[in-house]
Amino acid sequence: MTGILALITDGFGGSGGIAQYNRDLITALAACRGTGRIVVLPRLGEAGAAPPAGVRQLKPRRNAAVYSLAAVKAALTLGPFDLVFCGHLHLAPLARLLSILLGVPLWLQLHGWEAWRVPRRIERRAAEGADLITAVSRYTRSRFLASCGVDPARVRVLPPTVAPCFGRGPKAAALAERYGLSGKRVLLTVGRLDADERRKGQDRIIGALPNIIAAFPDIVYLIVGGGDDKTRLEALAHDLAVADHVVFAGTVSSDELPQLYRLADVFVMPSTQEGFGIVFLEAAASGLRVIGGNADGSLDALADGAIGTAVDPADSSALVRAVTAGLAGDAAEPAGVARFGFANFARHVEQLLGRHLLSAAPAAAI
Amino acid sequence: MCGIAGIYAYHYAANPVEVTELCAMRDHMAARGPDGRGEWVSADGRVGFGHRRLAIIDLSEEAAQPMVSPDGSAVIAFNGEIYNYQALRAALEAKGRAFRTRSDTEVLLQLYALKGAAMVFDLRGMFAFALWDAAKHGLLLARDPYGVKPLYYADDGWTLRFASQVKALVAGGRVGRDPDPAGWAGFFLFGSVPEPYTVHRAVRAVEAGTTVWIDRCGPGRPTRYFSVSRPFAAAEIKPARIAVAPARGRIRAALFDSVRHHLVADVPVGIFLSSGVDSGALLGLMRDAGQRDVEAITLRYDEFRGHSDDEAPLAALTARHFGARHTIRTVTREEFGADLPKIFAAMDQPTIDGINTWFVAKAARERGLKAALSGLGGDELAGGYPSFSDIPRWVRLARPGSFVPFLSALVRHAIAALNGMMPLVHPKAAGFLQYAGSYSGAYLLRRGVFMPWELAGLMDRDFMREGLRRLDPLKHIAAVLEPKPKSAWSKVAALEAGLYLRNQLLRDTDWAGMAHSLEVRVPFVDAPLVQNVAADFAALPPGAGKEVVANSPSVAVPAEIQDRAKSGFKTGFATPIAQWLQQDEQVRAWQEVPRLRSANCPWARRWAYQIARA
Repeated sequence: MTGILALITDGFGGSGGIAQYNRDLITALAACRGTGRIVVLPRLGEAGAAPPAGVRQLKPRRNAAVYSLAAVKAALTLGPFDLVFCGHLHLAPLARLLSILLGVPLWLQLHGWEAWRVPRRIERRAAEGADLITAVSRYTRSRFLASCGVDPARVRVLPPTVAPCFGRGPKAAALAERYGLSGKRVLLTVGRLDADERRKGQDRIIGALPNIIAAFPDIVYLIVGGGDDKTRLEALAHDLAVADHVVFAGTVSSDELPQLYRLADVFVMPSTQEGFGIVFLEAAASGLRVIGGNADGSLDALADGAIGTAVDPADSSALVRAVTAGLAGDAAEPAGVARFGFANFARHVEQLLGRHLLSAAPAAAI
Repeated sequence: MCGIAGIYAYHYAANPVEVTELCAMRDHMAARGPDGRGEWVSADGRVGFGHRRLAIIDLSEEAAQPMVSPDGSAVIAFNGEIYNYQALRAALEAKGRAFRTRSDTEVLLQLYALKGAAMVFDLRGMFAFALWDAAKHGLLLARDPYGVKPLYYADDGWTLRFASQVKALVAGGRVGRDPDPAGWAGFFLFGSVPEPYTVHRAVRAVEAGTTVWIDRCGPGRPTRYFSVSRPFAAAEIKPARIAVAPARGRIRAALFDSVRHHLVADVPVGIFLSSGVDSGALLGLMRDAGQRDVEAITLRYDEFRGHSDDEAPLAALTARHFGARHTIRTVTREEFGADLPKIFAAMDQPTIDGINTWFVAKAARERGLKAALSGLGGDELAGGYPSFSDIPRWVRLARPGSFVPFLSALVRHAIAALNGMMPLVHPKAAGFLQYAGSYSGAYLLRRGVFMPWELAGLMDRDFMREGLRRLDPLKHIAAVLEPKPKSAWSKVAALEAGLYLRNQLLRDTDWAGMAHSLEVRVPFVDAPLVQNVAADFAALPPGAGKEVVANSPSVAVPAEIQDRAKSGFKTGFATPIAQWLQQDEQVRAWQEVPRLRSANCPWARRWAYQIARA
């Protein structure tokens, strides 16, 4: 039976995309044949959230030094372990140390921007020592290989999964009423409003709204997500005289989000810094036409155009064309979202585990 | 002999194979295979192969590719020739296997069914192939021991694409063009891009003598089944002292055996004839093997007329000597200028060589040939390069100095600084003490176009640093010597075969030959041959290798040819590029760089810069 020690930022009891990814991955690992016990040590999140059977999550330790000591202690006292899983590049040096200490392989997971820049030397060394590195998208993999130069055969892609709660369904009238969407066509973005990064592209959509309104006067642009860029976006909408067409919904609870998707017709996020962009898949699963950027991890979520339309985020007229085509129903219905279901993900986790970590011989041994 | 391409959407998230992309990759290689084209896509759309055919063995339609096994369990796209296919076929038939064609391609399919990836150990020839194993849902990529035939792949994490040429992979439209710093640094150091790197970060070579297995998890690490230094290391294990006379006999027999195998074809096989020993001996051995009426091709450059570089007079002598039909094809600067755009288009990756092969292959095709022998590899096998004496001598000289800490680097910096003010010594001399103390360092000095400390100014500084870090030139060179032979001669032979021959000569022969739809066969580059004679060549007195090769046909190579070889004159299709670089307007970019304008700058440096700018 295989014992796994998992060092992660947050998982069970955490919130956000990375926590969701970690929960899926640990759940899939726990279900693999031969997996015995998984000990999870998070940095963040609420203590006491219930993980699946066979998984023990220790209490979160925010302080780096305390976390490191706890990790060493867990490695030495809660084993035996056959594998160290590391859920973030920042934790890789510690995870590498533990994998050397225990004499077991290391699996390193990469998400988005943290893996795009040139890594610190200590992180690069740790990554070079990893037996398997998985990236959420081809883009993250490519950026990481460009900056790090590890053996490409060891860097694989493991995309996130779209949760089954996202799907087609009737529009919730009360919710439409609350945001003033009744009888309107709705354009939707779900993403943080970050003043420093401005990478999701809500400002680009507001900038394109006058041209979109010219074709569809009954349009409402619904912006879901919180952040410090809201003031600037409001001012922009005001300056362009489209403030009446823009609704800021703020942060929405995860219970309400699936229903909110169903209120919209077209999901658009011309992002430039997307590690993957799970929201594209949530929207497509909800039956929306989907439009995203063409220069980052979004291409994976859009499956190179099979699931949604990829446009150059800097090209405003291309954005307008894609949105109006989507609103007019000219764009094809999203197809192929099912490939990102949990079953495929879990099967791939098991294959990767067998190929890279638990068998000594390569597949082509001759 | 052909061009192959393919796509395997191995990851569950990847879209199925697009036939338009597959065909775009395949048809970018139209010149590799003008006789036919084919494509195959699996029923589930997850894998597809494309093939362009130059028909040499079994010219019938039955032998067309991609070829599917009768039970549908395996599919192959294959580029190359298996010279022992008849023997393999007989052995398979003895085991009860039935064949539908007379092709070597079908032998590969049947051999795989019997042996799996271990089949590569049985193959004698030049090959690069992709084989789909439907039962395992996996793809096997394999390449011959010395890398005569090319194979490249690009893995984006979802989908794996492969092709015979880098440019074909990129032509499909889904493979990134970002430059690879290691590939470019390697080009400026060696004059060719060293495997497994290419000029594109997204593209890698299937290394010579390796296989790669790709399944639902993507490509695994390459598996090496042949190392160029192993025959030499293995030969040293034999305890017996080798007597010279029987060694000569064994070398003759082994050379004849290789030439005989390299003549297997259903079309006439010609020969590239220079004024040297190697091609002359090949011609004599072809005659011994029963070939009559051999078509021999020699290049002549106007610039060399009346000069010892002119190959034509002595080549004509050899041709008469062995009774070959001889064509002397004259190449002018005007033709070079007119062909240059086509040469750059056909040049798969930057390289400072290949121009000679371009013209001799062009001439061979003009004479109606589809296949020709080349004496390439003779110098690596018989110790014909100056490096066989230079490198061991340098190592002996420089080793003591290299033990003094910092001294060598200090000397190098001092000389480089002085050279900056006025060119006193050859730029490479500055690094003698620092590099010549080891075999890998001495090899770099001997073969290098630019030295590592000279790359600044040719490449962006950060790009250069990253390239040198990833390539790690000395480690890259030393990796060839695994397992490490003991004798100096064997070390140099392995280094030449594993670097210069593989990355420069063979690759250039492939693209420049295939651009004219001509298959070039290299009997001196043959794993069984090297395995048979590695110990014998190493046992010969210094410098005797060429003489043994010259005397290997039943009628020896003419005495004039041998005498010239003994005098140390290097032959073998030299080109007047040095002059053309001064004269042709299309190749003047090197003049932008002050140090390339200096009168004593070697032409190879100017040409390398010119190629990089093309």
